[in-house]
Amino acid sequence: MLVEPGQKAKIKVKVNGVLHEVEVEPRKLLVDFLREDLNLTGSKVGCDTSTCGACTVLVDGKSVKSCTMLAVQADGKEIVTIEGLSSDSKLSPIQQAFKDNFALQCGFCTAGMIVQTHYILSERKEITEEEARDLIHGNICRCTGYQNIINAIMDASRRMRQ
Amino acid sequence: MSYSGKSVKRLYDDKFVTGRSTYVDDLKVNALYAAFVRSTVPHGRFKVSKEDALKVKGVIAVYTGSELNQIIKEGIGPWTTYIDPRPWKIPKWKFAEHETKYNGEPIAMVIATDKYSARDGADAVNVDYETMDAVIDMERASKNEILVHKELGTNIGYEGNFNAGDVEKALANADRRVEVEIGNNRLIPSPMEPRGIISQYDGINLTIWYSTQIPHFARSEFSRIFGIPESRIRVIMPDVGGGFGSKAHFIPEELAVIASSIKLGRPVRWTATRTEEMMATNSRHNVFKGEIGFKNDGTLVAIKGTLDVELGAYLTYTEGLQPTIIPPMIPGPYKVRDLAIKSRAIYTNTIPITMYRGASRPEATFIIERIMSTVADELKMDDVEVRLRNLVKEEQMPYVNPFGLKYDTGDYPTLLKEGVKVMEYNKMKEWAAEERRKGKRVGVGLAFYLEICGFGPYEFAETRVTEDGSVIVSIGGTPHGQGTETAIAQLVADELQIPIEKIKVVWGDSDAVPSGTGTYGSRTLAIAGSAAVASSRQALEKMRKVAARSMKADVEEIEYRNGEFVHKKEGKKVTWDAVAREAYSGREPGVTASVTLEGDVTFPYGVHMAVVEVDDYGIAKVKEYRAYDDIGRVINPALAEGQVHGGGTQAVGQALYELAIINENGQLAVTYADYFVPTAVEAPKFKSYFAEKYHPSAYLTKSKGVGEASLIVGPAAIVRALEDATGKRLNKTPVLPEELIK
Repeated sequence: MLVEPGQKAKIKVKVNGVLHEVEVEPRKLLVDFLREDLNLTGSKVGCDTSTCGACTVLVDGKSVKSCTMLAVQADGKEIVTIEGLSSDSKLSPIQQAFKDNFALQCGFCTAGMIVQTHYILSERKEITEEEARDLIHGNICRCTGYQNIINAIMDASRRMRQ
Repeated sequence: MSYSGKSVKRLYDDKFVTGRSTYVDDLKVNALYAAFVRSTVPHGRFKVSKEDALKVKGVIAVYTGSELNQIIKEGIGPWTTYIDPRPWKIPKWKFAEHETKYNGEPIAMVIATDKYSARDGADAVNVDYETMDAVIDMERASKNEILVHKELGTNIGYEGNFNAGDVEKALANADRRVEVEIGNNRLIPSPMEPRGIISQYDGINLTIWYSTQIPHFARSEFSRIFGIPESRIRVIMPDVGGGFGSKAHFIPEELAVIASSIKLGRPVRWTATRTEEMMATNSRHNVFKGEIGFKNDGTLVAIKGTLDVELGAYLTYTEGLQPTIIPPMIPGPYKVRDLAIKSRAIYTNTIPITMYRGASRPEATFIIERIMSTVADELKMDDVEVRLRNLVKEEQMPYVNPFGLKYDTGDYPTLLKEGVKVMEYNKMKEWAAEERRKGKRVGVGLAFYLEICGFGPYEFAETRVTEDGSVIVSIGGTPHGQGTETAIAQLVADELQIPIEKIKVVWGDSDAVPSGTGTYGSRTLAIAGSAAVASSRQALEKMRKVAARSMKADVEEIEYRNGEFVHKKEGKKVTWDAVAREAYSGREPGVTASVTLEGDVTFPYGVHMAVVEVDDYGIAKVKEYRAYDDIGRVINPALAEGQVHGGGTQAVGQALYELAIINENGQLAVTYADYFVPTAVEAPKFKSYFAEKYHPSAYLTKSKGVGEASLIVGPAAIVRALEDATGKRLNKTPVLPEELIK
């Protein structure tokens, strides 16, 4: 795709099952596109160094920090955000596990944590606590001290195996 | 029906787990975007050229300090509720006009149609600097050779002497005297949501959406600063993504956003990038140097020394607390009565410093616990034994400490002994010694703390029974993650004997909640919770009057239990809901009761233990963290435990990883990626216990506070464990790998 300075690029992207055909500035980050253009504000921006993981989404099933990717790079891809993980106001087993285990406090990291957990548990159903800590370590939480988040991940994996 | 004491699930979690939460940056307001040009020198005169920036696509305006300060009428000042400004030397702090005092200070503002264009505009602003001599180092600044603020004539912003007893005599009579140096380096609180603000001015009314811990103080400060009556200012606190003390102060960027929205007559918004957030709030950095005296049996008899607290370039709203709260808390839970502490607060050409979780109690606790461990090491005594020798005893309660602080309730020695048992301290010490014999560098350490919290002077609450019998509780406290709203709903449900589902807790909107102070200093459950209990009690009394009216009886004849008003003699009953509907039918419709509950400080305490391991590269990890606390009555154990976990992980950060490096050019030389907020891999496994036989506060809830406990005591426990693991003597945080590998 070749775009002249000042021009916008046309992309086709499916987000939470809905197809969007839109024009975006080539430099626009995927997270800003989701939040500003599609009003999907569930994914948060917590840093500018791709460290915190609050903006984690699924791109073709893989977890991606949406601040590390341009919207134009999502052309032709399928994206799932936190808003796409539950339907009909029914919480997913992972969302329920986070709630039941007091796995959030201020809630700002929660969307990223849940999307990442979704990714982890879609790859493997069985998980040890140590693996859970390792696989979630790209997502930072400043409030909970992580123990209840790890408990929630373990609980969710049990629920999903049942 | 009883909710209190149970781990009731948080009431408002659904929006967070589904992505429907609304923080400031999530709000859809037709606003312009602000970006800031920041100083690249620590001290200097500057000149801004706007021309190039104004040519950038999407840029609407570029403002300098001289334009903004016409609207920003007054400067940022200290929090006079808690800080007496009289002994202070305070520089005027508005938007920088001609002279910048620290690297990173905002010196021009760009307004544009979107945030990318605003950034483009800021990058196109040209600034010429004429650099001036700067002083970055606190010790050098204290010599006053280079002044941060020439007009003050000194860099010492505050100097106070905290003297009790006769320290010289006590030192002369001591069996042993030892010099100590104890310090905490500069930290960055780092809540997950960077600060943000949207300001909208319609020509008469000012509406501000603000990521804050103190919306009502914000309203009164904005009123003072902009000269607009409080009735015409509405401050709304949407969901707030953590604060830890860092969202209880005001910065020039925020005043500029408000000023520009007034100037332009259009809404303006700004959300700090993480890098900007790291420059908006730095904290801690203090050093205590002195001498202690003790007896051969381990009794501490004297503490003498100087406490230096760094201020950065300006006096923030909150930092004035530290130099006046740290010294009187240095004796902590111990009996020592002869102290002389000179406390100084020092300006430097660096990012201004603010309070951070624990604000003064972590500093005081680290000082006194390092002193206790020093006494233990000098006399080859056990850490527990030396503390038991010095702890204030239960029969001395209430105990007035040498600086006049009155410790309300507690049994410190018993808690320590119980804690040692429950946390299996001795067993873990033996295990660590065994591991060390096998060549591993493993250690166990504990520390005790006494916290002062539950700060007044007051808190507001209102209980309103709506027409269908459901209840709206408005609180002046402003939870932003702690979950206190759920604990308060539990208390109110018990007080009114109605299901918790009927209760909605409201906070953080200055139009919806008439008055309030906020959430900080581990105060909310004690003071806002008690205010909510008090207003609910009054609302119930009003309901009883309505019930009596409807049953044509005297109030005294009506009894209330479990959602029913009963005529004691006749046995007639009316339900809570029916009475609520009745209340809206007569004259003076509705049932509302509000209180302004005054309150005073309370003192929780506890003992925490850390288990650490240091690897061959000097990298330390806290493997386990255990806590045994008496925090008064525990209303929701899971919420309280969450505070212990979260504070404990911040303690791991402070003790081992987090350091806000300021280079010789006064520049913050660390990014979020290498500041090392602990991740799940560095976080320890927690075991948190609360004393079954608790000691209550004087508040209606009988609770004390737990929000800061682990960050108050954790660093001392972790550093002690590192000493056990390595045999080194350590005296400041963070303890970096290079110190451990030596």
